[in-house]
Amino acid sequence: MIFPKWTNWLPLALGIGAALMGGGVAAGVTYYFTPKYTRVGYEPVQPVPFSHAVHAGQLGMDCRYCHNGVEKSWFSNLPGASTCMNCHSVILKDDPRLAIIRESATNNTPVPWVQIHRLPDYAYFNHEVHVRRGFSCVECHGRVDEMDEVYHAKPLSMSFCLDCHRNPAAHIRPVDTVTDLGWTWSTNGVEAANLQTVEGKKLVEHMRVESLQSCSACHR
Amino acid sequence: MNSNPTTPAQATGRRYWRSLDELADTPEFKDWLHREFPQGASEMVDGQNRRQFLKIMSASFALAGLGLAGAGCRRPEEKLEPFGQQPADYVYGEPQFFATAMPTRTGAIPLVVKSYEGRPVKIEGNALFPGGNGGTDRYAQASILDLYDPDRARHFKHDGKVVSREEALGFLDELSKKFAANSGEGLAFLAESSTSPSRARLQKIIAQKLPKSQWFTYDAIDSGIHQRAATQAFGQPVKPVFHFDKAKVILSLDCDFLGGEDDAHNHIRKFAAGRKPGRGMSRLYAVESLFTLSGANADHRLRLPASWVKQTALTVIACLNNSLKKSGEYVSPQWISRCVDDLVAAGKDALVVAGQRQPMEVHLLAYAINSAFGAIGNTVELLPALNSVGGTVADMLAADKAGKIKTLVVLGNNSLYTGPGTEDFVWGQSKDFRNKTIIRLGYYEDETSQLCDWHLPMTHYLESWGDATTNDGTVVPVQPLIQPLFGGLTELEFLARLAGESQTSAYEIVRATFDGSDENWKKFLFNGFVVNANPKPVVGNFLAPNSEIKLSAPTASNLEIIFYRDAKVDDGRYANNGWMQELPDPITKMTWDNAALVSRKTAHELGVQNGDIVEITLNGCSVKGPIWTQPGMADYSLGLALGYGRERAGRVGTGVGFNAYKIFSGKYIETGATVRKTGETYTLACTQNHWSMEGRPAVREANLKEFLDDPKFAAEKFHGTEPPIVQSLYPNPLDEAKKTALHQWGLVVDLTACVGCSTCVLACQSENNIPIVGKDQVQRGREMHWMRIDRYYTADPKTQKFSDAFVTNEQEQFSEWIDDVQAVNQPVMCQMCEAAPCENVCPVAATAHDKEGLNTMAYNRCIGTRYCSNNCPYKVRHFNFLDFNKRPLADLKGPFYPTPLLHKTDGKWDLLSWWKHPEQSGMREEDEWDLIKLSKNPDVTVRMRGVMEKCTYCTQRIEQAKIAQKVKAGGSGDVRLKESEGTIPKTACQQACPAGAIIFGDISDAASSVSKWKAQPQNYALLGDLLTKPRTSYLARIRNPNPAMPDYHEPFSSEEYEARSNPKI
Repeated sequence: MIFPKWTNWLPLALGIGAALMGGGVAAGVTYYFTPKYTRVGYEPVQPVPFSHAVHAGQLGMDCRYCHNGVEKSWFSNLPGASTCMNCHSVILKDDPRLAIIRESATNNTPVPWVQIHRLPDYAYFNHEVHVRRGFSCVECHGRVDEMDEVYHAKPLSMSFCLDCHRNPAAHIRPVDTVTDLGWTWSTNGVEAANLQTVEGKKLVEHMRVESLQSCSACHR
Repeated sequence: MNSNPTTPAQATGRRYWRSLDELADTPEFKDWLHREFPQGASEMVDGQNRRQFLKIMSASFALAGLGLAGAGCRRPEEKLEPFGQQPADYVYGEPQFFATAMPTRTGAIPLVVKSYEGRPVKIEGNALFPGGNGGTDRYAQASILDLYDPDRARHFKHDGKVVSREEALGFLDELSKKFAANSGEGLAFLAESSTSPSRARLQKIIAQKLPKSQWFTYDAIDSGIHQRAATQAFGQPVKPVFHFDKAKVILSLDCDFLGGEDDAHNHIRKFAAGRKPGRGMSRLYAVESLFTLSGANADHRLRLPASWVKQTALTVIACLNNSLKKSGEYVSPQWISRCVDDLVAAGKDALVVAGQRQPMEVHLLAYAINSAFGAIGNTVELLPALNSVGGTVADMLAADKAGKIKTLVVLGNNSLYTGPGTEDFVWGQSKDFRNKTIIRLGYYEDETSQLCDWHLPMTHYLESWGDATTNDGTVVPVQPLIQPLFGGLTELEFLARLAGESQTSAYEIVRATFDGSDENWKKFLFNGFVVNANPKPVVGNFLAPNSEIKLSAPTASNLEIIFYRDAKVDDGRYANNGWMQELPDPITKMTWDNAALVSRKTAHELGVQNGDIVEITLNGCSVKGPIWTQPGMADYSLGLALGYGRERAGRVGTGVGFNAYKIFSGKYIETGATVRKTGETYTLACTQNHWSMEGRPAVREANLKEFLDDPKFAAEKFHGTEPPIVQSLYPNPLDEAKKTALHQWGLVVDLTACVGCSTCVLACQSENNIPIVGKDQVQRGREMHWMRIDRYYTADPKTQKFSDAFVTNEQEQFSEWIDDVQAVNQPVMCQMCEAAPCENVCPVAATAHDKEGLNTMAYNRCIGTRYCSNNCPYKVRHFNFLDFNKRPLADLKGPFYPTPLLHKTDGKWDLLSWWKHPEQSGMREEDEWDLIKLSKNPDVTVRMRGVMEKCTYCTQRIEQAKIAQKVKAGGSGDVRLKESEGTIPKTACQQACPAGAIIFGDISDAASSVSKWKAQPQNYALLGDLLTKPRTSYLARIRNPNPAMPDYHEPFSSEEYEARSNPKI
């Protein structure tokens, strides 16, 4: 006998080993190489320690006070420093943390905020059509009103977009509540989920939400 | 790999790989970083150095490894920089639209320009302009690329050295003081014609302040002859407006009003309006030598040498007077007498137009004929006009000889290039001029700048305040959309400074000229024209001319030359515009070149064929250029396009074609030329090599009578109709998906209205970021235009031999049938087949249908197998063989490599020089990038190498319209776009089309225009018998020939179809 008897198991062992390895690599890639891992949690330090939790959360400011382009353009703008100065010319007017803002508003030099949410250039996402049609900020940006420093809360991958576009009823809400990030159909979690299904479906039908899934919807 | 020098990957590389430090700093490495593929991989003709390649590759792998392991995996940090002080009424990301106008020689084109973040990206016609339909012309569409031309003049220069703006302006002030003191003695201006009221006002001020100064005007292409002729004919300063829409019978005396004449887009609009198939459709007779767009759209075309047109006009008059004597003295008396009968029958609805290249007598004769019919005031309207002030170039040379010119100011006017080539006319060749102070305000540092002491950069019209007067006499504003990119001056600013005016800003000058309240001024700028202010027509009485002209027939040794305005580069001003260079000429379909156009017979007698370089001699001057046989060209005539062969045009235009100005003497038609074969040959890049339809019903045509008898001829007479639908084995998923869609998109092209002017092709290129590929690539059939205009020639089947069906593209030029041809144009873009053959063969589903019937293309999915293009019966898909967006501009014009092994440049083997200097053909330079990036439309992806692309029906416009409607709907369900509400978007080609030949819309709405067009009896699908069920369809072309004419025929294409379908043998 040239080969010992255990070699009979070798092909099987190799097969199982290869399958495990392959599976491991595949699992690794699907987890580590996707935006779920690479992007979620990204929390750069911003030049000004602006807290959304204070402004949008505690003070209850509407998102659109600062991001006023969100209903008019594909892009949700960052406010100019002059917008900040509307209040901060009175409140905390000599606070050193606001020095950059004051300088920006006076000299018209931009504040270099670090971009967090960014889609690739070939995906033509449009803010206005989403917020005007009952799709809340929270769906993509998370509870910004609870964040001190904003971080990347959702993966914003293509499959993330498609999850919603395939089932808009599970995410839609009355148009006037889109900037109320904590809003639910009911305070009771179970009831809220049920209502979302029922009312969401009604809204989708009433508003004739298309939630397009064709390539041309996002890629041009 | 990111090329940004601040990215972590590169920084890490520096830190850890000291041994590669030097390498990482070399230009080759930086070049490599910029490139998508290593040297040689993306150019098929590059040489490469293997060792260097390996060096760079190893360095790159090292860097890539580091990148993966370290922080380089994270995408680069990018900053969002908002305004410090938020401007009011500005929303980032939303386009803004401004009304402005593009000045032309004798008018202006009212425009609305779209601007993103302060940079103009797309030019459209002003649809609100009275009578306008939003259509433009080729030049207006392409002019936006000139704004971002990296070769435009960027600096103020004195004696060739860069000086500061202040220094140059200081010099102007000095000059102005000097001339104010001596009332302008020795000062001369050389300008181009303009319709700006402000310039006219400044000109007057200069004449008052500096009475001894002199003003001269020169235009290489003289469109002012219409006004001069009308003024002479009617004895008062008037200019004509031709109403091709009111005219029932039109006779063109070598007048290319649809192509080479000024204001062609208006003529096309009016002409198309008069050509609605049915009773009352107008008829066009054309007498011409060159095969022009007007001739191609004529119902009857008489092929004659251009120098015989005068005699033709006299023959017409003789017919009118019933004084037609024995034949021989007259040109084609039978043809003309029948044509005149038709004109007489039309009475005051007749219209005779003379071409701008024809001499004054022909124009006067045309007015004589028009007034004989009573057409003046009906089809020819006379508007009061201002006679141009100033002398000609000849006057200038005379003044110079008299020693009256010490300082010459050249405004624009590249007349050292465009000036007539004979020595008497070129002011630059006169030695005296070299001792004068010459100041130039020019958009390019071109041929003329060489000779100038001072060069001041001029602004583009999109950067300038100004005004202009359209051909119908309406004043329109020229509004800037962007600050001058290189701090240039407008003509108005320049003149105001020189005149020593206190107002030197162009805005103030234009505002002062406007003379109206602030409210009216705002309305003027908002609308883009003065409402209801076009001048009232005047009544003129024709003053009869008297002329007797002798005919001299051109022969092979006494050839006639026609110098014509090129359909693309104009007089040479668009020579550095890559879109224009690559646009196939509307008739010849030639790109990146001009040629000496000759008829088949002439070519035969001269013993030359396509591509043979000949030496053309006229009046002792000669020029060398390639021959091109043009079907339908008059015998013994040579057509030479002006505007090529530039010596200092820029990276794109320098050295493209040959310079016909060298033998030009100011007359557009000359006889006495001789041609000598040099024995050299030249490769021309044509996009359509085969001329004949070979009897296939691609374009379907009928005469009006036949159409009235059998309106459904297009669908029924030709076999290429849709076969009856049988139950499909595999149902089309679109049939199911349609049911839930809001719209179904469709498009119709009216072949009767389309004249083939090619404005749509440029509009599409501008809207969809279509790259320029260069001559060599066009020659390989790799042009990227998403829509093309197929131009076919058809001829009487009797003149065709049986063997003609089997000739190659190269042999077609020798076939006799091409002597007298009809031409048809057919715009072809993606047909959006419901059963699209391209989709079935895509292995990665990169092209798929959406439920609104669009055949979509996901570039990111495409892996470049090109199966789809292979399977497309319409050949409308285009593949990015190379990274065309990154090719340096200077590489575009060639050379053409039949085989790179043998090609020589300047006597050196190309292969050898590539081996020695592999780095010399590479990336676009930084200064090209900076500007060209600005010209891109941000709504459309810029495609890269290896990706298939095609017409999308302007899906970005559809999506934007849908989004706008959904935003408006808010919480309601009113999301459907409706034509009745004006929410249906327009495609770029549709919007630009001056003829209104393209209509796009929702075919599921029966009330929409597109549905109505599709319901017309002459509607047919291209290759419909393939059952691809295209969403694009065509309205068959209806011709309106006169049954009484000797050359009355069924359309040749129909006869050819019959003959080929039922062969007699």
